Amino acid sequence: MPRVFDVAKKGGAWVNVPSALMNGAPTVATTGGKQVVTYKLNSKAVWSDGQPITSTDFKYTWDQIANGTDIYDTTGYSSIESIDDSNPQTAVVTFKEPFGAWSQLFGGLYGVFPSHLLQGKDRDAAMAKGYDWSGGPYTMKWDKGVSVTLTPNPKYWGPKAKSTIVFKFLADTAAEFQAFQAGEVSAIYPQPQLDAVDAINAGISNADKYITADTGNVEALWINMAAPPFDELAVRQAFAYAIDRNAIVKRLFGGLGVTKAVNSLNPPILAAYSDQNAFAGYGLDLKKVATLMAGAGWKKGSDGIWAKNGQKAELTIKSTAGNKRRELTQQILQAQLKKAGFGLTIDNQAAADLFGKQLPGGDFQLALYAQVATSLEPGLCTIMCSKNIPTAANNNTGQNWTRTKVTGLDAPLQVVDKSSDNAARATAAKQADKIMAKAQVTLPLDPLPNIALWSKTLTGPKGDNPIFAMFYNLSTWTQK
Amino acid sequence: MLTYIARRVLYSIPVILLASFLLFAFVRVTFDPTAKLRNSREGAAAVARETKRLGLDRPLVEQYGDWLGKFVQGDWGESERTHDSTSAMITRALGYTVQLIFWGILISAFVAIFVGVYSAVRQYSALDYTFTGLSFIGLALPPFWFGLIAIEFLAVGPKQWFHLSEPPLFFVGLHGTGETGINVDYFRHLALPVLTLTVQIVAGWSRFQRASMLDVMSADYIRTARAKGVPRKRVIIRHGLRNALIPLITVMALDIGALFGGLIITEKIFSIPGMGRLFFDSLVAGDATVLVAWTIVVALFILLFNLLADIFYGFLDPRIRLS
Repeated sequence: MPRVFDVAKKGGAWVNVPSALMNGAPTVATTGGKQVVTYKLNSKAVWSDGQPITSTDFKYTWDQIANGTDIYDTTGYSSIESIDDSNPQTAVVTFKEPFGAWSQLFGGLYGVFPSHLLQGKDRDAAMAKGYDWSGGPYTMKWDKGVSVTLTPNPKYWGPKAKSTIVFKFLADTAAEFQAFQAGEVSAIYPQPQLDAVDAINAGISNADKYITADTGNVEALWINMAAPPFDELAVRQAFAYAIDRNAIVKRLFGGLGVTKAVNSLNPPILAAYSDQNAFAGYGLDLKKVATLMAGAGWKKGSDGIWAKNGQKAELTIKSTAGNKRRELTQQILQAQLKKAGFGLTIDNQAAADLFGKQLPGGDFQLALYAQVATSLEPGLCTIMCSKNIPTAANNNTGQNWTRTKVTGLDAPLQVVDKSSDNAARATAAKQADKIMAKAQVTLPLDPLPNIALWSKTLTGPKGDNPIFAMFYNLSTWTQK
Repeated sequence: MLTYIARRVLYSIPVILLASFLLFAFVRVTFDPTAKLRNSREGAAAVARETKRLGLDRPLVEQYGDWLGKFVQGDWGESERTHDSTSAMITRALGYTVQLIFWGILISAFVAIFVGVYSAVRQYSALDYTFTGLSFIGLALPPFWFGLIAIEFLAVGPKQWFHLSEPPLFFVGLHGTGETGINVDYFRHLALPVLTLTVQIVAGWSRFQRASMLDVMSADYIRTARAKGVPRKRVIIRHGLRNALIPLITVMALDIGALFGGLIITEKIFSIPGMGRLFFDSLVAGDATVLVAWTIVVALFILLFNLLADIFYGFLDPRIRLS
């Protein structure tokens, strides 16, 4: 699907650059007190059937996302008041409320839909089983469970794709590496699981690799602030001082050269919009644990576990079942917390149950999972503003699963979401990071490094892109 | 014979109904089909709408009755994970699993019968001891380990050792890119998963066949046949093997039924989108609609092959038909 922005690294930082769809960068203005973004489209841009890509496609996309049923995330689209499509080459988007992260619209999760093909149809049904239209360098064919084949789109107006690319679905990490070594596949982009780290360290011949911690990922120990004993600030802080996060990261990813914990809930690629050292003050310090817990009225029992008013500091951690890396993380945590006087029970769940039911329902104390950025826009209000705590007021759809409610936090997070002044957003984001660290709302752990491996028989792959992975320049890939 | 089959089919109906009800109830209790909607924009409204649409607010027995009525008419619902038709997903997955089972059973049966008969006829010979040892090793080999070892030594290794342009055997799916049908590429893809599947089966069946054959070969009618001067080869094949196959065929039928849902690891390692992988993916995603249909289809196959086992047994042993 066509999108407004590509993502590229310039001057050491990841930035949005207008894609081939655009005739220059969109402009932002305030007209009549309202934020207006104007998108000028490339007159050569056409769908794979030869029909031009127009502002009507933008209007249709907005309508589908803002007003469709069961849409995963309507953020930004629900802030749009109108789209003027009177000029097919220019989409003028007027917002009913300021929306700072406007650059994530018409890209990110959704792209732009072809209105001339989908208008009047059930779009969800029309796209659920794959689609053969395209507004990019490839058309797609999906052989369910087996592969996705990308074939060069002859109508694409930008640089032509060099080869047909087949993505194969490999379910087993060990077999994935073997398939790569045997030449059954030319490139792999594996999850940073323990066996992947071991396989890379064992050496892979005739291959190039790119491993980076400069990602859009943050894996953290998410704390439910409404669940005792985490409703006490002292306990949350003591918990943070009970853990040697660097030791955990070194054990998990040391083989890849990643040895330091992350210290912000904003991922590394959003360094400009975050205080990447906000949580750096939290390291293993058992004396501080003792001081904080004793100061809050907790006493150690004969079993070495803190207790207060008959309640023991016995914690339960949930994560996705079957993930070996997370299971190892939990086991290390168990050992570290025991030394600090906390019990830890592991209670992992199927992903669907964990993310669909238990986290939204607040049925957890501590959870281990990752947040992954889908654009270069900062913004933690969705998961950290108090208005987004699931309640009847928001139909229990709020995504602040950690029930975070800290005095003074909502205001800067809302500035990040709503201001169109990037300097103000950066300042507010850094301020929010500091507030969250002081209140120890949760504990960032690692950046989940991205791993790209490709055969030396392949030309084109260069490295990694935090939004589009190693496939950002796929159209240049070809066999030697 | 027809009366016997009709009776056995009738016996199977209450078993199917009871099994399907229990499986339906277990999946309903374990997985909530509306779970993922709780966090959607419409949240409670979407959950309420789906609860009503799926009839989750009604008593379990009523839900089961409704589901059963649709199931027998071919309406198995829509996957919550892929939004695809459940019946289409299971049919597609069955297509892959049936291929594995067909070739796996064909080769396993041939090898196991040969090894079992040879070991029985040449009891305590060097080869009998060798086959016995290999059988025990085969029984002890877990497929998740053997599959990866087989890939390493029969695909990845040879390519690297002999500097080949491609591995002699493939292990991703059942066809290479752009290939279809039964051809050399298909068999190069099929070899390793079938090998992984057959090792344990051959090990088990060959021991069974050996024991069965030894039993038969010491029977009075075999001694009589020999005393009458019937040639040794004819005694072994016509009088011995034919009777010794009866219990093996029963075991084979039962094992085949179980294989329809039992190839989870093999299909995962070899990236084959069959029934095992469909179950794994649906379980991880909590896709209740597919899980209900999947468990019942597998239960039906197990019952079907149990039934076939009884029918074969009745066909091969007339005493069963009379009882």
